[in-house]
Amino acid sequence: MAMVMDLCFPSFESFDYTTTTTTSSTDEGCNWSDWSPVVDWNEISDDQEDFQDLIDSMIDENVVFHQSIRTINDDDQVNEEEYNNSSPEYNMAMHDEAGSAEDSKGLRLIHLLMAAAEAMAGRDECRGLARVILVRLKELVSPTDGTNMERLATYFGDALQASLDAGAKGRPAPGAAEHQRADVLAAFQLLQDMSPYVKFGHFTANQAILEAVANDRRVHIVDYDIMEGIQWASLMQALVSRKDGPPAPHLRITAISRSGTGRRSFGTVQETGRRLTAFAASIGQPFSFHQCRLDADETFRPASLKLVRGEALVFNCMLHLPHFSHRAPDSITSFLSGAGTLNPRLITLVEEEMAPPSEGGFVGRFMDLLHHFSTVYDSLEVGFPMQSRARALVERVFLGPRIMESVARIYRGREAEEGCSWGKWLGAVGFRPVSISFANHCQAKLLLGLYNDGYGVEELTTNKLVLGWKSRRLLSASIWTSQDCDL
Amino acid sequence: MFHPKKASSMNSPMCDSGLVLTTDPKPRLRWTVELHERFVDAVTQLGGPDKATPKTIMRVMGVKGLTLYHLKSHLQKFRLGKQPHKDFNDHSIKDASSLELQRNNASSSGMMGRSMNEMQMEVNRRLHEQLEVQRHLQLRIEAHGKYMQTILEKACQTVLAGDNKSAAGPTLNFPTLQDLNMYGSSDHLHHQSMEMESFIDKKRSTPYTGKSPLVWADDLRLQELGTASCLDDQIGPLSVDRGSDIDSVSDIYETKPMLSGGHDHKKYDVKMDRPSPTPPRTVAISAGGMRSSPFG
Repeated sequence: MAMVMDLCFPSFESFDYTTTTTTSSTDEGCNWSDWSPVVDWNEISDDQEDFQDLIDSMIDENVVFHQSIRTINDDDQVNEEEYNNSSPEYNMAMHDEAGSAEDSKGLRLIHLLMAAAEAMAGRDECRGLARVILVRLKELVSPTDGTNMERLATYFGDALQASLDAGAKGRPAPGAAEHQRADVLAAFQLLQDMSPYVKFGHFTANQAILEAVANDRRVHIVDYDIMEGIQWASLMQALVSRKDGPPAPHLRITAISRSGTGRRSFGTVQETGRRLTAFAASIGQPFSFHQCRLDADETFRPASLKLVRGEALVFNCMLHLPHFSHRAPDSITSFLSGAGTLNPRLITLVEEEMAPPSEGGFVGRFMDLLHHFSTVYDSLEVGFPMQSRARALVERVFLGPRIMESVARIYRGREAEEGCSWGKWLGAVGFRPVSISFANHCQAKLLLGLYNDGYGVEELTTNKLVLGWKSRRLLSASIWTSQDCDL
Repeated sequence: MFHPKKASSMNSPMCDSGLVLTTDPKPRLRWTVELHERFVDAVTQLGGPDKATPKTIMRVMGVKGLTLYHLKSHLQKFRLGKQPHKDFNDHSIKDASSLELQRNNASSSGMMGRSMNEMQMEVNRRLHEQLEVQRHLQLRIEAHGKYMQTILEKACQTVLAGDNKSAAGPTLNFPTLQDLNMYGSSDHLHHQSMEMESFIDKKRSTPYTGKSPLVWADDLRLQELGTASCLDDQIGPLSVDRGSDIDSVSDIYETKPMLSGGHDHKKYDVKMDRPSPTPPRTVAISAGGMRSSPFG
């Protein structure tokens, strides 16, 4: 890869050779995840002109690859006149190594992203640099075309841009607007078909709930983010067909809703409630539905819940895709700690499993996020190899906003919330873990077997099942109970 | 390895291979706990009772004297989940006591006997559970799918019902849209686009070029998905160009379309009947494949 790059530079006279070689020498034998900063940005002078050239040199290599690989050049943003004087032998070399050139482009994109992240993490003078890098990056990539890495780079680039715009302290700019409603439904269906992410979380939680309420007549579930309520369809079916324990237990679901419009508004949630009620009626499950509104600042108040004596109380907290993870972690905190005050029978929590924060600061966490989402993209690609447009839709509707949020979160860089997953938090504040049963684990394995061999499930701790793709952990489902409760 | 090399007990003389064959008129292989465990291990290694075949199991187990015939019938019983249970119950006591006699060397032979029994029970229980889980999973996935259908159908129906519902939508004039909220309707969009093409003569770079939905679906090769038409139709246009999509769609929303109703409704019904999507394995499940597959 690196060798090819060295060939072509003589034809591009405007570039600074020395910096170029520095770049390429780092590429040799480089595993992207081990990538270390090419250049110490802070050492180089603040003169933007120099950076401009440097970036151009990095990018030009990309662009030439880009042009020769693609038979149809959709990327109109590329400034063609600047680059179409590439030498013929260079192009030939490119064609020969199209495959590795693609990898190389991917690597380039990662370099650019990392460079931008570095610039943002550094002193303020580097902000301008970051912007320049991001602009150039944007020219190279598209959210719907190209390889996984290219599409991923678009979203990460946008996310960095948004974080830059928002500033270090303020709330992120209103970037990810609510999507076309129709898209959300389509993307949701696709996501479920392509991957076990949705079902894994739902089924694992449901199985734990079923086991916990095996002998109860009344069950009350408080759901943090009910969305369409699809999780409860399979729970109801299971309740209706359960053999031991009191038959036909009454199920009550309280959905948390928020003020305002949008996906979690009162109206939307009510619609979900109607649908669930109809479904329950169709299978003969005694059912009732309620809503509980959050305060204006999205705090959960346990007092606003209607409780019935003798019912088994369950708190359900789904934070993974496609649930849009909430902007205010305080809201989740209030929900979970509020739950604690009510001594629930069970708390089910499904969240993304991130590696523990590395010491690399913002850049380290950024690269970790990149790795995480890259894995997700890979898994979806394997699940749906030909349907790149379908995947692009899912990426646009769910993954893109997720990336945006995650990057913004780590950029704001609050150490406290960084360190800890919600699971750890639950453990720390005193909830007791509940073991995952053999049946639950078995179900997860069977479920994953329906999709692809690349997926695996492991029992990380006795109360936590983790779904992973190849060697990377992606999603975790954990079960807890209140300390005073005897299961 | 399956049994101590010591000489036999009542009616189970051992072969050199270590397999226990009965002295019944018809010599049958006795599936002892250890043999069965090895069997279960092999099956799990191969990915479960449905994926494993007698031949592969035989290879993995590597037990001399074990024939395909033995394995075929045992696998069948294993899949059904009943026979092993019975066998264990019938023979468990006998096995336990016979083994106990044989293990003279073991000082804790009494305990060995008991724990053997427990192990058998445990294995038995696990087998049963696994099968139960499999059955339940099937049902749950179906329920999940059924519910998903109701969402999609509702979305389609609401569109076709047109302006019957009232809504508090601030920005959108088309009533049903607000009511649908996040489901909106892909069909809705498709419909509107088709209508708009004929009624509104605007020049815009909209992806709605009046192609039929089937053509779109083909373009995307989403026929394979077999998802409801809603999804087929709208994925194409919406993912092509983000910017213009939103513009064109919101423009469309501002005027009330005239839906052709009946004809289109039929079209959707037809498409809805298609089996649920996805990779071959799930197709089997959703078509009830798991149930009707040869378990025995």
